[in-house]
Amino acid sequence: MTSARWKSILRHLVLIVITLATIYPVLQVIGISLRPDDRLYSTSLALIPKGATLQAWHNVLFEKPFGTWLRNSLFISVVVTLLSITLASTAAYAFARIRFRGRQAGLMGFLVTQMFPATMLLLPTYVLMARLKLIDTPAGLIIAYVATALPFCVWTMKGFYESIPRELEEAALIDGLTPFQAFLRIVLPLSTPALAITALFSFMAGWSEYIVARVVISSKGLYTLPLGLADMAGTFQTEWANYAAGSLLVCLPVVTLFILLNRFLVSGLTLGGVKG
Amino acid sequence: MSGRCVHELRMIVVAALIIGVGACGGGGGSTSKDGRRGASATKIVIWEQMDPKEVTRFDRHLNAYMAAHPEVRVEHSHFNTEDLRSQFQNAANAGGGPDLVYGPSDQVGPFSVLKIILPLDTLIPASTLANFHPAAFDTLDGHIWAIPDQIGNHLVLVYNKDLVPTAPADFNALIDAARKLTVDDDGDGTPDRYGLAFETNEPFWLIPFLTASGGWVMDATGQPTLGTPAMVDALRFLADLKNKVGIVPKECNYQLMDTLFKEKKTPFIINGPWSWQDYIDSGINLGLAPIPPLEPGGRRPAPMAAAKGYSINANVPAERKAAVLALLEYLTSPEVVADFPDLLILPSRREILDSPKVTGNPLLVASRQAYEAGRRMPVTPQMRAIWDAMRPVQQSVMNGSLRPEAAAAQMQKDAVSKIAAMMN
Amino acid sequence: MAADSSRSRLFPWLLVGPAMLVMALVVFYPFVYNVGIAFSDMSLRTFRNPGFAGFRHFIEIFTTSPLYTILGKTVIWTVVNVTFHVAIGLSLALLLNGPVKGRNIYRALLILPWAMPQYIVALTWKGMFNYQYGAVNLILGRLGVPPVSWLSDATAAFASAIIANIWLGFPFMMVICLGGLQSIPKEMYEAADIDGAPAWTKFRRITLPLLKPVLVPAIVLGIVWTFNSLNVLWLITEGGRPANQSHILVTWIYNEAFTLYRYGYAAAFSIIIFLILLGFSILFVRQTRGTEAVY
Repeated sequence: MTSARWKSILRHLVLIVITLATIYPVLQVIGISLRPDDRLYSTSLALIPKGATLQAWHNVLFEKPFGTWLRNSLFISVVVTLLSITLASTAAYAFARIRFRGRQAGLMGFLVTQMFPATMLLLPTYVLMARLKLIDTPAGLIIAYVATALPFCVWTMKGFYESIPRELEEAALIDGLTPFQAFLRIVLPLSTPALAITALFSFMAGWSEYIVARVVISSKGLYTLPLGLADMAGTFQTEWANYAAGSLLVCLPVVTLFILLNRFLVSGLTLGGVKG
Repeated sequence: MSGRCVHELRMIVVAALIIGVGACGGGGGSTSKDGRRGASATKIVIWEQMDPKEVTRFDRHLNAYMAAHPEVRVEHSHFNTEDLRSQFQNAANAGGGPDLVYGPSDQVGPFSVLKIILPLDTLIPASTLANFHPAAFDTLDGHIWAIPDQIGNHLVLVYNKDLVPTAPADFNALIDAARKLTVDDDGDGTPDRYGLAFETNEPFWLIPFLTASGGWVMDATGQPTLGTPAMVDALRFLADLKNKVGIVPKECNYQLMDTLFKEKKTPFIINGPWSWQDYIDSGINLGLAPIPPLEPGGRRPAPMAAAKGYSINANVPAERKAAVLALLEYLTSPEVVADFPDLLILPSRREILDSPKVTGNPLLVASRQAYEAGRRMPVTPQMRAIWDAMRPVQQSVMNGSLRPEAAAAQMQKDAVSKIAAMMN
Repeated sequence: MAADSSRSRLFPWLLVGPAMLVMALVVFYPFVYNVGIAFSDMSLRTFRNPGFAGFRHFIEIFTTSPLYTILGKTVIWTVVNVTFHVAIGLSLALLLNGPVKGRNIYRALLILPWAMPQYIVALTWKGMFNYQYGAVNLILGRLGVPPVSWLSDATAAFASAIIANIWLGFPFMMVICLGGLQSIPKEMYEAADIDGAPAWTKFRRITLPLLKPVLVPAIVLGIVWTFNSLNVLWLITEGGRPANQSHILVTWIYNEAFTLYRYGYAAAFSIIIFLILLGFSILFVRQTRGTEAVY
């Protein structure tokens, strides 16, 4: 056997072990969702519990307003993603390419907004949103989530732009394009991996988020998925099976989105014909 | 890559902006202050922390009320207990919030100090108040702040009748029975079934042992009384149950207690009314009894007894107050609380407590006995500081890093300093 | 680039402006609010009308509070977490970058920890760490290791939360690295191969430096987020169990503010956290020249 073959076997071995360790807790959650009597723990290690039933899945999908939660979450997350990509990709371009006064401060400024412990920001955020009449509106949540996602998106896009040689844009300018057209037609298409990361991250910024949603939203009709899940949790008694089933359903759209975006995270699509 | 791509990108940007603006314009419900919406209907908002099983009956009663009173619309939102407290505070302090807030009796402590709920003894006639169980109300600063629909929250001895036919008369008998059922099935040296399980790390579960040893958390003026010999005895008893007697699992928390009982691997647990119906639904042949004295002929343990009820937001505008009061009286009326016994919960109204629905159910009779043997949970805000002081020290005793004598003194010291810090 | 005319001086601000406006709106007011209450005595009794308290809270924090031990634990928490996040994430990205059979399946499964809602996975991990019945001790038992009191021993409890948090955090770094690896031109590796460079040299001289622009901000943000992350630690140790020994700074503040209503004190503490992180990031970014480009 060639050394390449050994390498491949070793590689797969490592990947399989890590993947199994990674999905084991998820398998446990599946087990909880199948248990008939709302038990969070179990004294047996069996992944498919005794008396397994799909009742919890039925409850979550048909008895609870899962459709409402899903619709609200999708709307908010999609808008957050689109806004974040737009704002971040343009702002990052300026940071990457243009040396303007305030550039360093602006970049650090985005970073700085993440440093204050979020729990202490909840009360004044509530007060601010109440004054702006954004409490109990999707817009309030959208703004909060975009603000959460932007720093990372800006920095990531900027880093990516910097890995694209300037010669390409300079050539485009010589050909008569405006800077903005150079950005749109040359730089952006080469940045699809970063756009994919940004999109995934922005989507996630709001999708599983509970604390800010709890502060902003109180009407049942506006519940997002995390708030809907929390409805199933009592103080001591929680409908664990329903909760587990709901949690697994919540992660499906994210995995789907990742699978769709995955093709941008594959080498060979971007800098194929570029000479450094 | 050409004009078509640019065109697509432009479309996406425009779409995002339109959707963003549309989201600002649209939006969901209004806050409860907006009374002008739908001029004919008054909207009342309730925030609650009910367990999922209780929500079903609650919805039924609300629908019945709205059918009988078409001019009123009621909406409720669910929070967990701590979120309810902080969210209600946020909203009420900002001038808004729900009309009614439903939760455990100790939430009235902070709420009344923050002046965000109304005193109710002036709004509800004394004749109505007299129809509640005498221990249903907590008085703070001379006023009543919440009207309960259920009483309880008390810990009792819960046992599996299939494993243990009758309740033990005292802890010695309990330990004997428990020892027999602490069994190592697979021979690996550690038991797989345990005789007793309960949440060993929360001070709420320490209270019955404290009262059985003759102690209590505070004195008549509200000062903590944690550094007493009674506390030392209680902590030692608890630690011994785990370490010396060995009938309690090593790291026993609420979830493990719940699981072991549902899997029929433990005959005795100590738990409260919120859990009993769930056990019956899981197929356990349930028995309830007051927690037995620690030794034959000893003092009866008194768990903390409380209630859950409705408080009125101080921000409710005058024109809505009458409607809110009417809804409050409805939700705490005998007709509405009459279905609590079906969930093994004690209602607050005497009419139902003394009716065959309760007196004819041995489980509810045992529950009421335990409740009346209990001691009222203090609702002063200082209690939060006391819990916060007790909890870590109790955990240190349970994991063996602190001796009970030192622990009691530590609890007292921490409680005093935390109360001082909290009450400024 | 274009000559420095007044129009192109405005241009960058047109690009950057909207983003900064959103940030300013959402973050500025709450931040100023907190600075305000840090110097006030806002607590239960004085919620509506806090009075001025000067530097009282700051003095208390630096003298009698457990700032130093908790800060030490927070640093350990952050360093261990981020190190493993990056190490595991980068390794997996390298393993899954080339043409590997089943690559997409691996990637989709490995992203599950990030995709799952935190509440249930944190509680599931807590269950897995149960002394008697949890999966971790049972597997350790099969390997001949005696069971660990994961949740009642102080060090082990902290470790258990770290392990769960590592599990939750490595997919993020993996995705970043996967994206960053796409920007490295193949020609560089081919040229190195022609020169006969071994794999480690290729990694050190090509991969790492070219990953820097994307990896450095991810690490800085990862450090900041982990330093301030509340959920996982709180859920697994149920608020600092055992005996308040599993606290990091933010969980400590959370308890002071929301259990004991000491808002002024908690705000002062938060400002100290903020200044620590600010100082760190400025130094780190300057050291790694993270705002500069590679080319």
